[in-house]
Order: sequence, then C-alpha cells, then structure tokens
Amino acid sequence: MRFSGDFFDGITSRAHPVTATLAAGQLCIDGDGIALTIPLDRIDAAPPVGAARGVVYLPEHRELHSADQAALNQLAGATQSNRPERWARHLENRLGYALVALAVSALVMFAGLRWGVPAMALLASHTLPAGVDRHIGEEALSLMERVSLSPSKLPIARQQAITQKLAAQCRRQACPPHRLLFRDSLLYGANAMALPGGAVVVTDALVNLSRHDEEVLAVIAHELGHVQHRHSLRLALQSIGAGAILVAVTGDIGSVTDLAAGLPSLLLQNGYSRDMEHEADVYALAWLNTACIPPRRFADILGRLDKDASNTSLLDSHPGTRERIKPFLARSGCS
Amino acid sequence: MSYTKQYPMQFTGRGSEYFAIWIVNIALTLVTLGIYSAWAKVRTLRWFYGHTLLDDRAFSYLASPMQILKGRLIALAALVAYYATSYFAPMLAGLLLLAFFIAMPWIVVSSLRFHARMSAYRGLRFDFTGTLGEAARIFIGLQLLLIPTLGLILPYLAYRQVKFIAENTVYGQTTSRYQGSLKPFWGVYLLSFALILLPLSIIAYGGYQAYVLQAAGMPKATAAATVGMYMVAGMVAFYLMLPVIIALIQARTANLLYNPTTLGPVGFDSSQRVRDLIWIYLSNLVLIALTLGIFIPWAKVRLARYRAGHLIVSGPQDLGQFTAGQQQGSTATGAELANLFDLNIGLT
Repeated sequence: MRFSGDFFDGITSRAHPVTATLAAGQLCIDGDGIALTIPLDRIDAAPPVGAARGVVYLPEHRELHSADQAALNQLAGATQSNRPERWARHLENRLGYALVALAVSALVMFAGLRWGVPAMALLASHTLPAGVDRHIGEEALSLMERVSLSPSKLPIARQQAITQKLAAQCRRQACPPHRLLFRDSLLYGANAMALPGGAVVVTDALVNLSRHDEEVLAVIAHELGHVQHRHSLRLALQSIGAGAILVAVTGDIGSVTDLAAGLPSLLLQNGYSRDMEHEADVYALAWLNTACIPPRRFADILGRLDKDASNTSLLDSHPGTRERIKPFLARSGCS
Repeated sequence: MSYTKQYPMQFTGRGSEYFAIWIVNIALTLVTLGIYSAWAKVRTLRWFYGHTLLDDRAFSYLASPMQILKGRLIALAALVAYYATSYFAPMLAGLLLLAFFIAMPWIVVSSLRFHARMSAYRGLRFDFTGTLGEAARIFIGLQLLLIPTLGLILPYLAYRQVKFIAENTVYGQTTSRYQGSLKPFWGVYLLSFALILLPLSIIAYGGYQAYVLQAAGMPKATAAATVGMYMVAGMVAFYLMLPVIIALIQARTANLLYNPTTLGPVGFDSSQRVRDLIWIYLSNLVLIALTLGIFIPWAKVRLARYRAGHLIVSGPQDLGQFTAGQQQGSTATGAELANLFDLNIGLT
C-alpha cells in the first residue's frame, strides 16, 4: 500500500511532501530529503473521522498528514486491531447504522431515565443505613424551620386529640416509625409533607380546612405511605441519577442547548413524583380501611384542597384530583 | 512583492457527515454507561480540527482518549461528591464549593494549558504560559470585586481574561503579544446592560400601572390581570434577549481577542458580526427545539463554519519557518473539571 501526504518533523513547521509505503510491518516515508523506516508498533494511526484530514502520529512528535481516507483506514487496521474507534468508524460510515444508533440512543435514554434510575434509587435506598434518612430529615427540617415554618398556633388540645387518635390507630395496625409535627406556614398553605426519616409535618391551614379529625388522619395516612416507601430519599437519589445521565449525554452536546436539556429532566421529575403519589394513595386506602375510617374523608379534603379538579397532564406533579379520588369514593371495606 | 500573505481560515466539515459521528458517539456512550464519552470527545475534536484548514493544512488534536477518561473520572468524582454532600450534608457541600473556588486559578490555567498543548498545526504544538498568580488575581481577586462594585468591574474583568489568554498563547517557540485596550469592552458590556434593562423595564412598568389603576379605583382582579400581562411580556422579552446578548458578547469578544493579537510575524483579522451570530443562534435554537435535538450537529457545523469563515490570518509567504518549543506533557483533570462545571474559559 502506498499513499502520499505531508510529513512534519516536529522541529519546524515545514511541510515535506512525501510518499509513504506500508510493507513488511514497517512504514517507509520517502521524499523531499526524508527517508525514514518506522516499525508499525511505534506509530499511532487512529482511524480517520468522517472525511476530515487524518494524522498518523510518529515517534518524537513527528506527524504524517494525509487526505487519503482509505489508506489511513487500512494503516489503522494494520497497527492496532482492538481500538474501539475502529468500531465507531465502521458504524459512522453507514447511514443505516447511524439511524439504528439514533433509535438506540433514544430508547436507552428513555428507559434509563424512566425505569433504570428509579430502580437504582430503590436499590440504593435499601443499602443506605436508616441513620442517613434521619440525618437528612433533620437537616431539611431545621432549614425549613428557619425559612418557611413557624410554631403551630393551633390549640394544644386540638393537636393532642389528633396525635392521640393517630397513636391509637398505630397500636392497632403497623405504621412506619414516624414523628407527627404541627407547624404554621405562610409559604406552604394547607399542606402536609413527609420528610426523610419519618417526620410528618402538618400545617395549621390544613387542620383548619378540615371539617373532621378523620380527614386530617386520612392525609397523615397518605404521608405515612411516603414514609413507608422512603419516597423523599428515593426522590433525592433519583434526581442525582437523572442528573448524572443528562450530564453524560449533554456533555457532548454543548452549553447552548443546556436550557433545552433541562426541560425533559423537569418533566421526568414530575413523572417520578406522580408514581410516588400513587404509591402513597394505595397505602392510605389500605390504612383507612383497616382503621375503619371511611375513605371518603380523603376524597373530601382533597376536593376542598384542589377546588378546580383538573385532569392529569404531563406537567402535573399530582395526578388529576378527580382521577385520584375515584378509589376513595368506593364504599368502605370496613364492617 | 509583499512580505505578508492573507490566509483565510476554512472549515470544510458537513452537517450530515457530523451527524453520523455525533449519533454514534451518543449511542456508544449510553451503551457503555458513559465510558465511551472520552473516545467520543477525542473523535469529535479530531473531526473538527481535521476540517479546520489554514493554508490547506489541517489542525490536529493530540489528546488520547485514556487521558480524557482519567480526567473525566476525577472530575465526575468531584461532581458526585458535591451532589451527594449537598443532599446529605449541606455544610460539607459549602466547604467543597469554597475549595473549588480556591482551586479556580489552577483549574483555569491547567485547562487552558491542556487545550493548547493538545492542539497542533503543521506538527508544532501550541502551549499556554499563564501563571497561577496571574490567574488568581483575575479569577479570584477581580471576581470578588464584582459584588462590591455592583458589576462595574465586569468590562475590566472581561478585558483581563481576554488579555490573559491572548498574551500567554505560544505556538512552538513563537510567543504572542496583545495590544488591545480596555475601552471597547466597556461598549460591549454597556450595550448588554441596556439590552437586559428592556425586559426589566416592561415588568417595572407593569407594576407602576397596577399602582395607578388601583389608585384610580379599579377592582383588584382587573388590575392584577393587567400586571400579569406585562409580567408575561417581560419574561418572554427576557428569554428572547438572552441569545441576543450571548451573541453580542461572543462576536465582539472574538474580534477583541484576535484583532489586537500578534503571534510573531502573524496577525489576525476577525470580522464576526453580532447580527449574523444572533441569526445563527436564534434559528439554531428554533430548529433544535423543532427537531427534538436532531439538528444539533448541523447547528454546531454552521457555527464552526461561520467562525472559521470570518477569521483571516496574515503571515509570511512561507509558513514553514516556525520552530518547536520544549515538549511537555499535561493532564486532563483541570480541563475536564472546567468542562463538567460548565466554566466557559476557552475561546475558540
């Protein structure tokens, strides 16, 4: 095999037009006062990329440039056979393979984000010791207390009544380890949240919105579902995982498009939390039935929380309320 | 006979050609759980360099995938440590951020050095000779002054960054000189500031309207709707203005970097125009969104072709007279850290 190119000696920028010949495991470079013979195991000939000019790296920072793609490809094959780039070169050269690559990329990315990341997070949440949950929960609570929560203004008697009813229930059926906290919050309005480690925060506005203590208990049952499944820890782990995948992919895409890349991750985050809301609802329904509390109570307070019950859309973090409360409207399974 | 000759920079890559390389890179990166990304980066840069021609000779990219992989793994470990601690121990994350800030000069210098040393033209490598002390003055000292000076130091900071890069770039043995002045940087940043004020003033005007309408006895809901309209208009204007400002700063900065720089006997003539770059950015953004990202390779090629097409190098009749400097190795850790944390230091 013989091809022509420019030889650079690495000492000056002068281009020497030469002819290179591949024979007997050696590369001979000849012309313009250059006569070199270099064994193939001392040269680095990466497979060319597309139709770009190729470079053969020779020892002592010498280079051989050539536009002869076929020859360079053959030379790359002769030097090192197991380079991953030879594979890539093979795939890049056929449009069909490129389209397969496109389909594979889309599929792997979707599957990885939709199922892979939650599965990994679930696995990781089991291997992490319980102390980690509690530690994160305490950090989060103390931050929220500084920023957005203030002590409850509810009468102590009311707080105690709810706490005692919950405790009585939890003597009758298994509840995950938890801690019920009443707090006032302007920011969250009527709301309840489960923090990692089992702290369940109920806002004053939620208690005031309820027309029956059982409604508050129903909401707490939903939050206990989050605690039971360690949702907040899993959500944190998932956002790390999804972030890692997006960085890995967009790292090759560039910064102009980062804005657009952030959007799918937001949609996914909402998708994740929708699955979790459903899991917590299933838990709450079973809990209420065992407790002999009519599941309607959950539907009632949810309906009041969300006056305009809309249908599920891609952007909602909570499933559409109407769809959500349907299972709770069935007759209680308690006799 | 004139002693100097004009060499227009050329970019000969095509979008469809890059598309195949790009999509295969992404597929292999995903299938290998990210390991291939190092090979992907090297192949991408080899393609871009190999299609960038000056005097009909291509640039070459010298880094090996293993170097990149090593740097990437270290940078990734740092990122994971930061993410993990920000969830599990925010105090520690704060300390990491501080450490990162202190390490900035090293990251900047080693990133620029790696990029330069892995770039070659006609068999001679580039190098970067900026010192840590100088980098610390610019990337910590001046950066810290941004807040107390209410951002007024920004043009000076940009000037010093450009000067730092231009003055310390070496080709073989040939060192460079930068003779730019601060004044044009003020123009760039004052204009950017004026452009960002436009959407903000729409929002402010909305707030003022609400006050007037309420004072005139209009019901609260109607007044709120009026304000909402102005707010939405302001936000839309803000997001449309962002690519415009990015285009303005990038086009002007490229010209302000190249034109006053001389590399031995070589001079540069960069003539990027803001309105061209605005058009490229906005149309790229729209097409990328419409094609769900498939247009990205064509977008990058368009930009590369525009940038190359607006740079003319003037130099001696014979470009073969440059000589090599000392050859030195370099590690990719700093460069990959800078990459992962999205620091835009490198200028093309």
